[in-house]
Amino acid sequence: MDPAEVEFLAEKEMVKIIPNFSLDKIYLIGGDLGPFNPGLPVEVPVWLALNLKQRQKCRIVPPEWMDTDKLEEIREQERKLDTFTPIPSLYYMELTKLLLNHSADNIPKADEIRTLVKDIWDTRVAKLRLSADSFISQQEAHAQLDNLTLMEINTTRSFLLDSLNYMYKLRSNLQPGRSQDY
Amino acid sequence: MPCERKPMRYGHSEGHTDVCFDDEGKCVVTCGSDGDVRIWESLDDDDPKSINVGEKVYSVGLKNGKLVTAVSNNTIQIHTFPEGDPDGILTRFTTNANHVTFNSSGSRVAAGSSDFIVKIVEVVDSSQQKTLRGHDAPILSVALDPSDEFLASSSCDGSVAVWSIESQTQVAQWQILQKSSDVSNAKSLCRLAWQPRSGKLLAVPVDLTIQLYDRNTWTHVSTLSDDLISQVVNVVVWSPCGKFLAAGTVGGNLLVWDVEAKLCIERQKHEKGFTVCGMAWHPSGGRIAYTDTEGCLGLLEGVPSSSSTVQSTKVSPKETHDYDDLFDEDDDRGLDEGMSDSRSPVKKPIMEEDDDDDDLMPATGRPRNRGSFLDDDDNSQDPSCVKLDGVPEEDGSSAILPAVGPAVSRPVYEGPMPTQPQRAFQPGSTPVHLMHRFMVWNSVGIVRGYNDDQDNAIDVEFHDTAIHHAMHLTNTLGHTMADLSQEAVLLACEGTEELASKIQCLHFSCWDTHKDWIVDLPKGEDVRTLCLGQGWAAVATSALMVRLFSVGGVQKEIFSLPGAVVCMAGHGEQLLIVYHRGTGFDGDQALGIQLLQLGHKRRQVIHGEPLPLSRKSYLAWMGFTAEGTPCCIDSEGVVRMLNRTLGNMWTPVCNTRDSCKSKSDHYWVVGVHENPQQLRCIPCKGARYPPTLPRPAVAVLPFNLPYCQTTTEKGQMEEQYWRSVLFQNHYGFLSSSGYEIDSEGQSRAEKEQQELLMKMFALSCKLEREFRCVELAEIMTHSVVTLAIRYASRSRRMALAQRLSELALEKASQIQEEEQEEEEPAYQRLICSSFEEMKLLLNFVFQEYLINIFKLQVSGAGKSSSSPAGQPRTTNVLDSMTMSNRKPAPLGSTSKQGKAPVLKPLAPKPKSKVHCVAQIQMFSSPAGSHTLPKTGFQLWLEENRKSILADNPDFEEMDVIKEGMGRFRTLSAEERLNWTERAKGDSDPKKRKREDEEGQVDEQTESDEGRTKKKKPLDTSAKLSAFAFNKE
Repeated sequence: MDPAEVEFLAEKEMVKIIPNFSLDKIYLIGGDLGPFNPGLPVEVPVWLALNLKQRQKCRIVPPEWMDTDKLEEIREQERKLDTFTPIPSLYYMELTKLLLNHSADNIPKADEIRTLVKDIWDTRVAKLRLSADSFISQQEAHAQLDNLTLMEINTTRSFLLDSLNYMYKLRSNLQPGRSQDY
Repeated sequence: MPCERKPMRYGHSEGHTDVCFDDEGKCVVTCGSDGDVRIWESLDDDDPKSINVGEKVYSVGLKNGKLVTAVSNNTIQIHTFPEGDPDGILTRFTTNANHVTFNSSGSRVAAGSSDFIVKIVEVVDSSQQKTLRGHDAPILSVALDPSDEFLASSSCDGSVAVWSIESQTQVAQWQILQKSSDVSNAKSLCRLAWQPRSGKLLAVPVDLTIQLYDRNTWTHVSTLSDDLISQVVNVVVWSPCGKFLAAGTVGGNLLVWDVEAKLCIERQKHEKGFTVCGMAWHPSGGRIAYTDTEGCLGLLEGVPSSSSTVQSTKVSPKETHDYDDLFDEDDDRGLDEGMSDSRSPVKKPIMEEDDDDDDLMPATGRPRNRGSFLDDDDNSQDPSCVKLDGVPEEDGSSAILPAVGPAVSRPVYEGPMPTQPQRAFQPGSTPVHLMHRFMVWNSVGIVRGYNDDQDNAIDVEFHDTAIHHAMHLTNTLGHTMADLSQEAVLLACEGTEELASKIQCLHFSCWDTHKDWIVDLPKGEDVRTLCLGQGWAAVATSALMVRLFSVGGVQKEIFSLPGAVVCMAGHGEQLLIVYHRGTGFDGDQALGIQLLQLGHKRRQVIHGEPLPLSRKSYLAWMGFTAEGTPCCIDSEGVVRMLNRTLGNMWTPVCNTRDSCKSKSDHYWVVGVHENPQQLRCIPCKGARYPPTLPRPAVAVLPFNLPYCQTTTEKGQMEEQYWRSVLFQNHYGFLSSSGYEIDSEGQSRAEKEQQELLMKMFALSCKLEREFRCVELAEIMTHSVVTLAIRYASRSRRMALAQRLSELALEKASQIQEEEQEEEEPAYQRLICSSFEEMKLLLNFVFQEYLINIFKLQVSGAGKSSSSPAGQPRTTNVLDSMTMSNRKPAPLGSTSKQGKAPVLKPLAPKPKSKVHCVAQIQMFSSPAGSHTLPKTGFQLWLEENRKSILADNPDFEEMDVIKEGMGRFRTLSAEERLNWTERAKGDSDPKKRKREDEEGQVDEQTESDEGRTKKKKPLDTSAKLSAFAFNKE
């Protein structure tokens, strides 16, 4: 699964927008959206929000967690704990990227938010690498990782699986007698 | 007499604070360790004016428009009040001052510093200073004698000293306080206070008590204490009248004593038990402001003794007096107080001094600060004499007192106090003094005003960009008012000395090239508020006038208002004006409201009736819902809507404060919609108004009528029902004023109402409340009543069902009556067609009648009741007639066709029936062999045929009948009835004959009247039996 696919999934998340046009309910396969009243917030999927934003048909209201205070708190929490902390949105990275790239003008302190989210991301990915490392070095058979987001899993999946495969091959070559243990 | 403790509110960041009132008592002024001085117009003021005076402020005093502060840069600064502009430095110390205070006239300031020195400075000439040296430790507090003779000071050295200002020497000294090394270590702030006016007593907080010292002898005369006091007393303040003494303790207790009686008359506890470090008595008494070391501000309302006026003060404290006594004493005391209160600058006239006992000077002081005061050490005081020129100084508390003083001198008035009338405002705007503000936010768009160093500009933005693109205007004229509609932006500014007040209109929807116009108002007349409607603009001015303009700039009507305008709102052709109807008392506003219809038929809908508001609140928003119903919101957050069906009364529909999480949160309303039911507003955290940045988001609140017991199912449904009814009123209004309405929405609302009624009915049934069931059924529509009958009989409540069926008949007859009026024109139309066709039609109608009745008997009214509310009733008999006309086999008519008419003919009203019969017979007679006039109309026609023919000699028979119909209809109801009465006598045989002719004879239709009578019982019993049958 490549990151574009994960991003695609993230685009189904709902976000609030303030439209500057008037439109009745629209009926889509995924559900009904609207009605759109100028000036009145309405929830739409991210893909539609971005589309409308690009056409300058709306302003995007940033999700509640996209706030420097809250993100700082999460970052501290993340740094303090060894395990992964619960994240306000399963698509925090993707949403931050999408919303900040397309509507940074509607999001107060966009740069700070970008940095904070990047920090959180880095911390979490570092933790992930670390745990993968100890997983391999201790030759564990299984491990449980909670509160990981899809994007995070995705970054490490192919590499981890491939390397485990190779290591398995190498080890079974070295110790043919013990290969059935794995 | 209990006083009311208002909840604390955030004032400053944590740390030491001080508080005082301004001279008139309009504002509370606080300072805090955040270095700000804040000016609060009330405790609920969410936008206090903030003046940054330094890094930390230790003490504040206010008198005669001068604000002195003791700041952490070791200076005493002056600022102007209320502007807050720096006005120089009064004096400097080598370390910071701990306390600063005015004298009663405001001419001198005294300050005590941590460098052991007390200084007395003339406000006008800061070079005239007197320095009092003698304390051996930081000064905790200073207090200037009302007569400017003495100064009292308390110090960390454990002493309280009284100095002669003239000689700058100590005249008395008491070692009564605990020593400490610094203000921060002192147990109490030991704020001293002289009795106002006479200065006879000096109050000194000493440990758990307050000691009073006499001025003449400098001896201890009495001690005030109370069991409630568990921790040291921090602050004492006298009431402006000098009768009462209030104290705040480190443990958060607030107490008020009647000094003469040594009676503790008021005990309050800080809501969180924080240390009270600042107190101030309102100049007119009655309330005490206090602050704590956590930076919070609180208010005690209705403090008994506090009234500055003599009467009030006395009255409240002494409940034991007779009224006569009260008045006498009050007057005396009031006078005395006024005289003796040297601190109060305002009170100049002292009428008499009755209170001579006030000579004692209370001096007690044990400085222990829990607060963040700065005094330093615990040196004992030196009684060294310091010569000071008379420098008046006052503590924060004393500052308060002076303010009180002025009020004292007035004649005593004890009744309700007039409220300051609220100023004119634009609905949906934030206050004018903000640099960045919303000039208006309404359903069309947002107008923002910027007025800062770089820019003075106006931004206009539309919610719907389809209306117009956003605009940016430079605000050269200094507009402060704006309104926005789909057609135009209206701006206005008040006049200045050189320039007249101007109205500017940007008419962007204009199709010519000149998009804007400007109008100058006559000299001396200022715009107060304005609004836009559809094609017109209205401006209310300071000359109590409303000027109407067309949106293109043509001046139209002008008219006067009975009072100063508060605000206006426009919608379509409606103009709503709110103005001051009179003077409100005790915090209430007295507002009147006018609603005008400006369309082609101009009229006043509401003629200046009082506008209801919550107690002690003012109008916060006024406008129309998107559907055009007037709506108002007061400062307590209660939303009221005009109920046009209830004689233009105001119904509360929502309280936005119920949705607020904390007390200082508010909702700032920007729009009200009835369909869907939405209250659009902006949540403001800790403020009444939203900031322009970051751009606030609109939230939607639901409406909630304050019905009783909405936690129960019954209450809920009642609330829902009446809300639905109320919010559906606009359909009636819109259609009556010729607007298009969303009929789908209307029928949906009606259906919802009927469903709710049915649910309530079922609930009452379950609770065996049959009377209530009938009451509910009375509000139901006819078709739902049949459903209710069915429900009742199913649940074996035959008595109820019986009653309901009677009700149903009544309703049916009403409907019939209404229909009658609709039918007439229809008949007229029909006359044009041939009589033969007429006859045929009638046949079908009667056939259907009979068929329906027959059906009823057989199968009950089940079908008809199954879709009661939503089913649009066929409006009149002719609907079914035309139908049957197209299908000449009415017997085979579908159930759908049968449904609607079932109910209609149930109980035709006697009178209308006769009328109907008359017409029927009229049609049938020419075709049949009858020539005898049998109906009222025919009788009448016979008599009048000649005159008709005479008028129109070329008329044919048809025309004659037509004309006759027209004339007959113009007759009065009585006359028509007369004719029908006359015709009645011989109608029966004729009718029978007609029926014979038609070959549709049925027993039930022997005669129209007979049928009518017979049908009632038949119908009811048929229904009942049907249900009974179904039940099995």
